[in-house]
Amino acid sequence: MKFLAPEFRSLILRSARKYCSEALPSTNAAGATQTSTAVAAITQRDVPIVNLGDRKLPFLSGYERPRQAWVESFDTLEEKKLGLIDLHPSIFGEMPRIDVIQDNVKWQRYYKFVSFAHTKVRAEVHGGGRKPWPQKGGGRARHGSIRSPLFKGGGVVHGPRSPTSYFYMLPFYTRVLGLTSTLSIKLAQDDLHIIPDLEIPTDDPEFIEDLIRTRNWGVSVLIVDADDVMPRNITIATDDIKHVNLMPVYGLNVFSMLKHETLVLTLSAVEMLEERLLYQLNRKDSKEICKKFKLSQI
Amino acid sequence: MSGVISGAEKALSMLRALPRVNLGNIRNTGAPKRSKRARGQHGGDKHGAGNKGSGQRQNYMRPGYETGNNPFYLRPPREPYYLGQHLRKQYPPISLQKLQTMIDTNRIDTSKPIDLAALYNSGLFGGEQDSRWYGFNLTDEGADIFNAKVNIEVQWASEGTIAAVERCGGVITTAFYDIDSLWVLKNPEKFFKKGEPLPRRSMPSQDVILYYTSAENRGYLADPAEVAYQRVALAQKFGYDLPQLSQDDPMYNTLVERKDPRQILYGLNPGWIVNLVEKEILKPKDQYLQEYYSS
Repeated sequence: MKFLAPEFRSLILRSARKYCSEALPSTNAAGATQTSTAVAAITQRDVPIVNLGDRKLPFLSGYERPRQAWVESFDTLEEKKLGLIDLHPSIFGEMPRIDVIQDNVKWQRYYKFVSFAHTKVRAEVHGGGRKPWPQKGGGRARHGSIRSPLFKGGGVVHGPRSPTSYFYMLPFYTRVLGLTSTLSIKLAQDDLHIIPDLEIPTDDPEFIEDLIRTRNWGVSVLIVDADDVMPRNITIATDDIKHVNLMPVYGLNVFSMLKHETLVLTLSAVEMLEERLLYQLNRKDSKEICKKFKLSQI
Repeated sequence: MSGVISGAEKALSMLRALPRVNLGNIRNTGAPKRSKRARGQHGGDKHGAGNKGSGQRQNYMRPGYETGNNPFYLRPPREPYYLGQHLRKQYPPISLQKLQTMIDTNRIDTSKPIDLAALYNSGLFGGEQDSRWYGFNLTDEGADIFNAKVNIEVQWASEGTIAAVERCGGVITTAFYDIDSLWVLKNPEKFFKKGEPLPRRSMPSQDVILYYTSAENRGYLADPAEVAYQRVALAQKFGYDLPQLSQDDPMYNTLVERKDPRQILYGLNPGWIVNLVEKEILKPKDQYLQEYYSS
């Protein structure tokens, strides 16, 4: 590693350290217990207890351990850890299927796309009704119309015709896997933050921008809540900031999660997401929804 | 938790050291690559199809055709082993082992009689219904480990299967359902939404009537006294003690429940209309309808 520039060396070392700390569960677990006791002390003092370490996770196979994340304060500029939360491994610890995510993004771009590219066929090009020259005797190739595809300015064969719909449906469980994969990646790359609720002390956009800058949340942030009616302060504060967006859980999608650098979920959003996705992953009548999509279906 | 780290966990921990996944760096590496028709020195000219003939025109001879000779597959005389096979009734197998697994994993509730509707409700069977499909054949695979006390109704059962069920104190009946009844059993809710009266179950067709009237097969049309006799006879043959059915048994009501030969679903008689919207059952009142639907 000596041949590398010092800044690159430090970068690689940092990455390697990250990797090692994740790969060694024993050290991780010990660290977690220490900090959680510290957090418990904090939470007892001045903030409500949101340490949800003993959440009951349904549909757990027993072979997979829950993922964990910090619950952070949202009403202060500085990050204050309020507690640890267990997250379901089928939702937040799923195999990161980049290919499935790509399928989802492609589908999200395509299904609503209508191409208006258009060319005219020889019948639609103006003129060309007359035979340009006699069939025989001119010493030239025989032609019947100057708008034939062989001619410059003639019609186009197999060109794009408007409007062309690119609508198609991705299989249901590919869409579900896209969501779980993306959520897992966001958590694994430290781009997912969990907050208790959306209450902030002021409706000043400066507060949100300072908060994002202080906490290194990057440029763009997607904030997700369970309900689509959100508190007044956060709504006004983020209204003018184009790169900070609010979204209810029912609107959460793969494209938006990847479009924004950081994903912020409220606790109620986490609950609702897990409940909805686990229902879909374990529903009994899954054969029905795996059937071929028909335009006439409800 | 165990020290085993799953593939997903490994992959996610590797992702920590990689750039952020975003719209600009995702791609589907597993997508099949389409080969393009090459030009010029890269495989142009005939594009690998050879010179003229069926290679270029894709008009290949049909398989087995020998350009006019008597083909090999037609030379030996015809031996129709499977003549009429496509017309015979089909009973796809479901083993006792699978039934036991379904009971152990709470797919099936043994406190109620198990019929086709209960099996379908487990969500494990589905797909297209074949027109020659007449229900399940309960096979004796896993008979040694079968220990559930059930009242089960299947469409076909061997002697070993019957012994395995009765040894545990259970009851087994073989019953015939016609195609229309099978559709009702497969998805009762779908049928109720049609708003039609429940049909009458047909009597078994000529080819299977002897099977379903035989007490040895526990046919649903057999004489109950004869069935009781055969239960004891089978226990003696296989050498187990037949558990006595007593009224003190909490399963007693379940075990003695049987369907009428004309009935399709437990608790619902033919001719009834189930209204799922108003949550009510409409029963026929006219004399001629009652006569028609009575068994």
